[in-house]
Amino acid sequence: MATKFLSPGRRGTSRGVSGRDREERRLAFRMTAPSLVLMALVAAVPIGYALWLSLNQYSVRTAGLSRFVGLDNYVAALTGTHWWAAFGQTFLFAGLSVSLELVLGTAMALLLNLAFKGRALLRTVVLLPYAVVTVVSAITWETMFQPNLGLVTNVLSTLGLPGGDVVWLGEHGYAMAVIVLADVWKTTPFAALIILAGLQVISAETYEAAELDGASKWQAFLYVTLPLLRPAIVLAAIFRTMDALRVFDLPFVLTRGANGTESMSMLAYTELRENRLVGEGSALSILTFLTVMVVSVVYIRFAGGNIREVAKEEQ
Amino acid sequence: MTLEKEANQAKEPLVDLIRPSSPSQEDTTAASVLSARKSATGSASRRRTRITAAAAAAMAAGLLLTACGGGAATQGTEAPAADPASAANATGSLNVCGGKDASGIYKGTVEAFTKANGKVTAKYTEIGATTDEARTQAVQRLEGKSSECDIFVTDVIWTSEFASQGWILDQTELVEASKDRFIPSTVETAKYEDKYWASPFFTNAGLVYYQKDKVAKPETWQQLYAEAAGAEGDSFVYQGKQYEGLTVNFLEMLYSAGGEVLDENGEVKIDSPETREVLDFMVQGLKDGAADRAVLTYNEDPARLAYESGNFGYQRNWPHVYRLLNATPLAGTFGVAPLPAWEGGKASGVLGGWNLAISAHSANQAGAVAFIDFATTPDWQKHVAMDFSQAPVNEAAYADPEVLAKMPFATELLASVKGAKPRPISPVYPQISQAIYKNVYAVLSGTATTENAVKTMAEELTAAKASF
Amino acid sequence: MSTLTPQRTAAEPAAPGARTPRRRPRGRAELHPVVWVFVIAVMGFSLIPFYWLVNTSLKKGVSLSQGELFPSQPTFENYAAVFQNAEFLLALRNSVIIAVVTTTVALVLASFAAYALARLKMRRKALILTLVLSVTTFPAIAIAAPLFSIWREIGLYDTLLGLIIPKLTFALPLAIYTLTSFFKEIPRELEESAYMDGATPFTAFRKVILPLAVPGLATTAILVFISVWNEFLLAVTLTTSPEARPVPVAIAFFSGTSEFDQPLGTISAASVIITIPLVVLVLLCQKRIVSGMTAGAVKG
Repeated sequence: MATKFLSPGRRGTSRGVSGRDREERRLAFRMTAPSLVLMALVAAVPIGYALWLSLNQYSVRTAGLSRFVGLDNYVAALTGTHWWAAFGQTFLFAGLSVSLELVLGTAMALLLNLAFKGRALLRTVVLLPYAVVTVVSAITWETMFQPNLGLVTNVLSTLGLPGGDVVWLGEHGYAMAVIVLADVWKTTPFAALIILAGLQVISAETYEAAELDGASKWQAFLYVTLPLLRPAIVLAAIFRTMDALRVFDLPFVLTRGANGTESMSMLAYTELRENRLVGEGSALSILTFLTVMVVSVVYIRFAGGNIREVAKEEQ
Repeated sequence: MTLEKEANQAKEPLVDLIRPSSPSQEDTTAASVLSARKSATGSASRRRTRITAAAAAAMAAGLLLTACGGGAATQGTEAPAADPASAANATGSLNVCGGKDASGIYKGTVEAFTKANGKVTAKYTEIGATTDEARTQAVQRLEGKSSECDIFVTDVIWTSEFASQGWILDQTELVEASKDRFIPSTVETAKYEDKYWASPFFTNAGLVYYQKDKVAKPETWQQLYAEAAGAEGDSFVYQGKQYEGLTVNFLEMLYSAGGEVLDENGEVKIDSPETREVLDFMVQGLKDGAADRAVLTYNEDPARLAYESGNFGYQRNWPHVYRLLNATPLAGTFGVAPLPAWEGGKASGVLGGWNLAISAHSANQAGAVAFIDFATTPDWQKHVAMDFSQAPVNEAAYADPEVLAKMPFATELLASVKGAKPRPISPVYPQISQAIYKNVYAVLSGTATTENAVKTMAEELTAAKASF
Repeated sequence: MSTLTPQRTAAEPAAPGARTPRRRPRGRAELHPVVWVFVIAVMGFSLIPFYWLVNTSLKKGVSLSQGELFPSQPTFENYAAVFQNAEFLLALRNSVIIAVVTTTVALVLASFAAYALARLKMRRKALILTLVLSVTTFPAIAIAAPLFSIWREIGLYDTLLGLIIPKLTFALPLAIYTLTSFFKEIPRELEESAYMDGATPFTAFRKVILPLAVPGLATTAILVFISVWNEFLLAVTLTTSPEARPVPVAIAFFSGTSEFDQPLGTISAASVIITIPLVVLVLLCQKRIVSGMTAGAVKG
């Protein structure tokens, strides 16, 4: 990129190279420090604490009784069936919902970027679902799919379509479909907004050039827009995947984890909160954390985008 | 016991380490904030950076120790007890904590108490919007030795857990002194290891609502299911979602069929012909349409809403539904019955309801005792029914004409309450209940056979019982 | 946000109305019919569940169990009940304070950090990015309980500040990533000319980058605001009184007649009501998001 060529020149323009450099690093430090300190204080302490808890077992029978067990909690989780079931179900959910959200989000962003009458209305309408409190949106979807009473089941059976008499949340597959749909509905606007922001830094001239070259609109989209949108799409993908892999509210309200919908976070919740198996639950939290972390790092590494460029700038 | 003592000894040095560090903590916080501010405004010299980092680390360490300190508590082997005589001299303020005050009973009771007592001022704090959340919030406060709450309104299934952790006062003397006030089954929910840890406040038991114009009054479960399968629009709705309510619905049948989960010695008894019989019966009911398959997604409210649509014959639910049903076009067309018996067995049920437990960290134990005494008086128990439509724990209240006027099904309710049994009593009750409802759900939804589910249930119950 | 506006107009003097001609050659209101189908489909998908929510909010008592597609006897009683609920109004105030303060502070802190990451020389950027991300990848339930004990210890429990601090912390990674990505897209040439005029990097950040990044800042503001507004778990864990409770928690505390029933009607009404501030926010930020073209225009 142009930056690589420009930076050395700039450095040369004022005082000595090293002086300018040091000053810049100092500024960089000062500008990042407030955020980093805050995050370290508020988030790192609980995470470190959970790490310690995960190496112990705390008695649920006798008050104050605990023992150091090393990695036993992890071994138990990784050799049992519950973790891997939740792992698979969570990835299935994340894979389905995030890919749908990215495709729909890109389409939405393209629409939102068009100039037409009623665009303001469209922007507002599209963002509405994102504004609904998650628990309420879960309840809304639950009632929509309720047998006999719900909007969807009602409409389907009135039209004589299949699915009207299905107990959606009570069947394998169908339950996951409702959860994915509810998530897509609520968070596609998030992806759309980020992608829209990326779309707007693509200049009109780029398109004009493509059009002059005789590219069709579809070709222009495929070979011009999409590559330029990559940073934004990757960014949306990172945050949506992280959220999707930690999904909790939707399955908790809709199915309580029945019918193949128990997520990693739900499993951790059950152990930590309901069963008060603090050590085991913390180990599950850490495992969830590590899983999500690995996935995010893989994204940044291989999916690219400008976040990767930033990460690669080791100076 | 010996294990516990060892653990306490092992813990001692850790606790000693924690305590002295706590008082200095605020200073550390202030210092780190100060130096952080300096470094942000002044020139960031290396040294200052290091100071900030060091202060931040110190603060983090302080916080970490504080956090750990909350969890790693030592506990005496003998739990402190509440003194019945202390109530007479009670003064000061009292904070009663519990879940959402939906019926208004909690606020109503603290206000009436404050007025009647004159010396103690009580208030009610809602700490969780759902039962799950209320428990989480209570546990957080108790683990943190918070003195914010003097009394916790506890679900009957929390008793063993709270008692075993030493979070609540032993109320044996209190309960013994006023035992004649309570219906015996309700006191059983406050019992753990031969002591009483709470006083029953109001109780709850399942009832069957039925459409008098369409179906007959249920006498046995078999008859109910046969009637329900008879015609479309006669079927039965209950709570079959994968959650605590399914445990209750299943145990109601299991108990009446003569089955049990744990025996008096705490041995797992679930692997029995009765369990298989009940599970097969429930599955058959879903197959032949006696119960709508939609019950697999129902907890209390959706079940009620479904029944209100008029498309069902029977509904298993709690007493609160009576008032709600009467506000619908179904008013006057439905009857209320105690839970039916198993064919050849007797009627039984599972007790719900809420107890009053005194926090071990309460700063006003005398006030708490006075409040409990007030809340459980036969006179106030009448108000529990009349003003808030909850089931009293005092038997006489059910025969009171004023109560009967407001709660015409009081006789049926009393029958249900008296016949009901507590859910398994164990400090690991949540795990026990999960083992039950997850496996029952698997059978009902068709993902497991009865045989496999019973085996798994027994294994999981045994594992839960063996928890550290 | 408002402080940024004058700078933006300084850097980009064109009046809002004048921007249209510079936009892509595809004119206004010339959508292909197929695109219209998409627009309508997208609106339908967004609106149908929302319609169901509004529908429920207009029902009362037994009509809640009838599953009618149109309420036969629409009533505003639920809305009236919500507005008569003093605790809800208090919660609304709390939520507004929390969301506004958190969003503002998050934008300031994150734009600093993002500028350093996107533009300045710095060691271990990859490590910093990873650490920042790790903050949001931890399951919230494992963080809530330790925070509860710490907050009680240092007196932040059940205060607005006690909610703002952790919400800010968990909003920062999203803000930092979005803004870093956005700053990265801004052409360097503009800063270069500022440097030529003797500007320091910080001045370049303030005078050049920030005004150009307004669309990115607006997008980030919306995302952060909404996530803070909707967050539930920390809110319920770290508050106990109506004086500190934000809206999502207050809604959860709406009472039916027993612990078993959810007052669907009032919950829905309240949910509809609380989307209004967000709609207003979106409408306000609209222009800023649209002004994304300014960045594009300058780049060209």
